[in-house]
Amino acid sequence: MTDNMSVAVSSPLVDRGHRPPAVPPGAPAVERHRRRSRIRATVEAYVLLAPSLAGLALFLVAPIVGVVVISFFDWNLMGAPHFVGLANYREMMGDSEVWRAMRNTTYYVVLNIPAQTVLALLLALAMNRKLRGGKAFRVLFVLPWMAMPVALGIVWSWAFDPQHGVVNQFLALFGVDGPAWLSSTTWAMPVLASVNIWQYTGYTMLFLLAGLQAIPESLYEAADMDGAGPVLRFFRITLPLLRPSMFFVLVTNTIGSFQMFDTVYVMTQGGPGGSTDTMNYHIYQQAFQLFRTGYASALAMLLFAVILLVTAVQVLYFRKRTVYDFS
Amino acid sequence: MSSLSTAVRRTTLYGILAAGALLSIAPYLLTLNGALKRPSDLLSTDAWAPAHPATSANFTAVWNQYGMSSFLLHTLAVAVLVTVGQMVFSALAAYALARMEFPGRDWIFWGYLATMMVPQMITLVPLFLMMRELNMVDTYAGLILPTFLGTPYGVFLVRQHFRTIPKDLEAAARIDGASTWSILVRIMLPLSRPVLATLAIITFVNTWNNLIWPLIITNSDRTRVVTVGISALQGEHVSDLPHIVLAGAALALLPLIAVFLLFQRHIVRSIALTGLK
Repeated sequence: MTDNMSVAVSSPLVDRGHRPPAVPPGAPAVERHRRRSRIRATVEAYVLLAPSLAGLALFLVAPIVGVVVISFFDWNLMGAPHFVGLANYREMMGDSEVWRAMRNTTYYVVLNIPAQTVLALLLALAMNRKLRGGKAFRVLFVLPWMAMPVALGIVWSWAFDPQHGVVNQFLALFGVDGPAWLSSTTWAMPVLASVNIWQYTGYTMLFLLAGLQAIPESLYEAADMDGAGPVLRFFRITLPLLRPSMFFVLVTNTIGSFQMFDTVYVMTQGGPGGSTDTMNYHIYQQAFQLFRTGYASALAMLLFAVILLVTAVQVLYFRKRTVYDFS
Repeated sequence: MSSLSTAVRRTTLYGILAAGALLSIAPYLLTLNGALKRPSDLLSTDAWAPAHPATSANFTAVWNQYGMSSFLLHTLAVAVLVTVGQMVFSALAAYALARMEFPGRDWIFWGYLATMMVPQMITLVPLFLMMRELNMVDTYAGLILPTFLGTPYGVFLVRQHFRTIPKDLEAAARIDGASTWSILVRIMLPLSRPVLATLAIITFVNTWNNLIWPLIITNSDRTRVVTVGISALQGEHVSDLPHIVLAGAALALLPLIAVFLLFQRHIVRSIALTGLK
């Protein structure tokens, strides 16, 4: 990947805008040299890109094309695949378990995102006061972010155990008889959501704190002079100027929540009574336990479409109200 | 503002922060405490009652008899390899995309951006079929390969950082006759330590914690990683050996806490970095 220097010096590696002036006519040697060095630079760039591009093509693009193709087939992994046209999609539309999984997933996202965002905002506002010990708090809040969700699932299953779990033992101190959380169709999903809220609130807080710290102090001073109280300042200055950070955390956390899998797999396997059967878990079961690869592929397409739609709605909502630089 | 109300306010703020901090560490402390209890104590005492007498028997049992030592070794090997691959190949691709001009560059960059949005579940069925064709089911190659060549996210993160490095440095080196390779190694990489550390940490943590791909691609103790190992343990033994399962979960959580304590500054900054454009 080394190259000889004369080529490198004149190669057009400089970015747009810094392009050397056009060659004057009647300088064919220079022109030829430049063209050769451009080819050289292109080869060099593709050599640098090659491993990564191979990975992209083989392990992302090809599977994405593959899943579309497979979704038109009936295939149990053993025999030959049968082309069935749109049959998988038609079956999906009438499959009440799929709609239940879609509802469950949405419910999980709705339990998760607002709670997580509001708690994170509260913590970020408290942290933004620059209290002594702020750094230590920040470290503690981020600690859950890197915990293994599978291990958390085990810990949470134990914590919410009706007899031996810390939650019901704690409630008993106040004379409250806690439910059998994970075997209750009402409580199982909120318990699953609580794992995610616990794990990502501190992480979300960091982004919001960075957003808060970017708000110029002078705005608050001006508002003070105009006699604006804390509530007005929060809604007129803090929240609007926090929108880019909010946009980022809402979009990424929502996409993540739609794909929850680990905690369901470890804690409830979709039960009780299908009340925690989320899309990702349902797709996993169809594909790798029932070996209905074609149908599972169609379901994966549905999930992708839903995530795209929700993301598009968020982007449109925020675009009207903020400028967010994607470059 | 009177000093009394300032004091009240300060106390409230500290109260909120302290409650949050306590909630952040409580699950870890309870897990460790529970895993140190004798089996009978685990079932008969309150979860917050200190392990007394404390025993390491659960840890040694899960380590020796339930395969935890080999699960951890496999996970460590996979996470290290994937992290190294991600760093090297993402940096190479990022340099080309950030600093070189060549036909197709913008298309390729958009390709990376577009695939970043795709949910993982989408790719799993074809990826599994591909690995089956290549006879890589239940092998390390099968575990590692899909992420070893780097992810679009890694390329994107490093590319964005490379673009912030002043071009004058590079131009000066070019005039001195430096090759692309030496510019990358001598200038770009040393100036990108924070973002490379970020990528390393995120990749390591994600690989360490990943369940679904190992769950699909491995099926024997030879390749089993921690996530698959402890979820199997939970499935089989949660009712008869809860102390063993808990010790397994504790051992799965602890290494990353150690990583965290070693690199806490880096990590906090890392997370903030990933939120930048």
